[in-house]
Amino acid sequence: MMKEWLRVFKAGLSIDNPLTVLMIGLCATLAVSSQVEGSLFMGFAVIFVLGMSNALIAALRKVIPSQVRIPIFIVIIASFVTVVDLFMKAFFPPIYAVLGIWIPLIVVNCIILGRAEAFAYHNTVWLSIADGLGMGAGFSLVLVGLAFIREFFGAGKIEFMGATVLRMPEGYAAPTILMMFPGAFILFGFVVAIVRALSNRSTARKAA
Amino acid sequence: MMPISHFLLLFVGAALINNILLTRFIGLCPFFGISNNMGTALGMSAAVVFVMMMASTTTWLVWKFLLFPLQLGEFLYIPAFILIIAALVQFVEMYVKKYSPALYRAMGIYLPLITTNCAVLAAATEVAKPGFFKMAMPYGYTLGEALVYALGVSVGFGFALLTFTALRERLDIAPVPRFLKGSPMSFITAGLLSLAYVGLAGWFGL
Repeated sequence: MMKEWLRVFKAGLSIDNPLTVLMIGLCATLAVSSQVEGSLFMGFAVIFVLGMSNALIAALRKVIPSQVRIPIFIVIIASFVTVVDLFMKAFFPPIYAVLGIWIPLIVVNCIILGRAEAFAYHNTVWLSIADGLGMGAGFSLVLVGLAFIREFFGAGKIEFMGATVLRMPEGYAAPTILMMFPGAFILFGFVVAIVRALSNRSTARKAA
Repeated sequence: MMPISHFLLLFVGAALINNILLTRFIGLCPFFGISNNMGTALGMSAAVVFVMMMASTTTWLVWKFLLFPLQLGEFLYIPAFILIIAALVQFVEMYVKKYSPALYRAMGIYLPLITTNCAVLAAATEVAKPGFFKMAMPYGYTLGEALVYALGVSVGFGFALLTFTALRERLDIAPVPRFLKGSPMSFITAGLLSLAYVGLAGWFGL
């Protein structure tokens, strides 16, 4: 039981990673990843919504008729997103101001509806939680990684909660393009290429 | 009566200078998903223009006459707006299926996916909920402005999607390094396209 749980959890992190392998939910990733701080909060928000909505949908899967399942999924997801929206607005207003429209847009993040449809609707609550947390963690990992590269190299320093945590040595000329929108696309293209090359190599080694 | 230039600026600002796809990253799923065929991309763009106009008008009315007076906006705007969009998309789908089966087949799975197209929800939220996006007028949009804004956003979406589709059709026959072949090259192409849009930033002080 536990083994199966871990297997499902790990799939989200590696072989089924929503961003680098399945390539869904890109909008939020590219837009939010200019700051580590915002990305961390975004990651937590997605893990929460994905875990909770997966659990609830799996629990109700026997009573949800398949003809109207999509609207029901969306309402369930929208409720959890509202929880996050109000929570962040109340307790972390500066971060809410940075993330702005991206919090309500979690509703239409393809990852969440995609997992509801592909996984939670056919599996037990226990496994669906593993899938939700794994997918959320896989999403957050890539998101925060991208944000780290973009902020550290693009701005020359990492800021967290108003303090500078990490700083490039004096005289570092930051390529601002990394912080801008085109930089996000180009960097993500290279990240996907590298992940793909690595996974091709490991499958080739397994086959040999 | 607002001068016509006001609406023109709103349109240009929404369509080009703050292009929803390439300078704000909203709606990237269809952007990468269906940009390999010109016919499908054209159908999708038309569907988005239609759905976005309808959705923005409806959410504007619902906010103005229902959610805001009842003071439910803060709590209910997400479920309310997404349900409006879902219902509208269902309606468009039934219409297209009945009157244009060829278009329906061409758009296939992507028509229901407009529901989860962030661009539609983003535009609908921005016009309906005052002061949500920093670009938006702090006093909120009038219905006319909301319509022009939604038209601008969706035309900008279609324009960027079609440009990118044309580029990708060329890319298929171009010699690309093996390491970057396929999706990585698409992202890099999108990055260069986005660079072109960044050059527009600041025009007319928008």
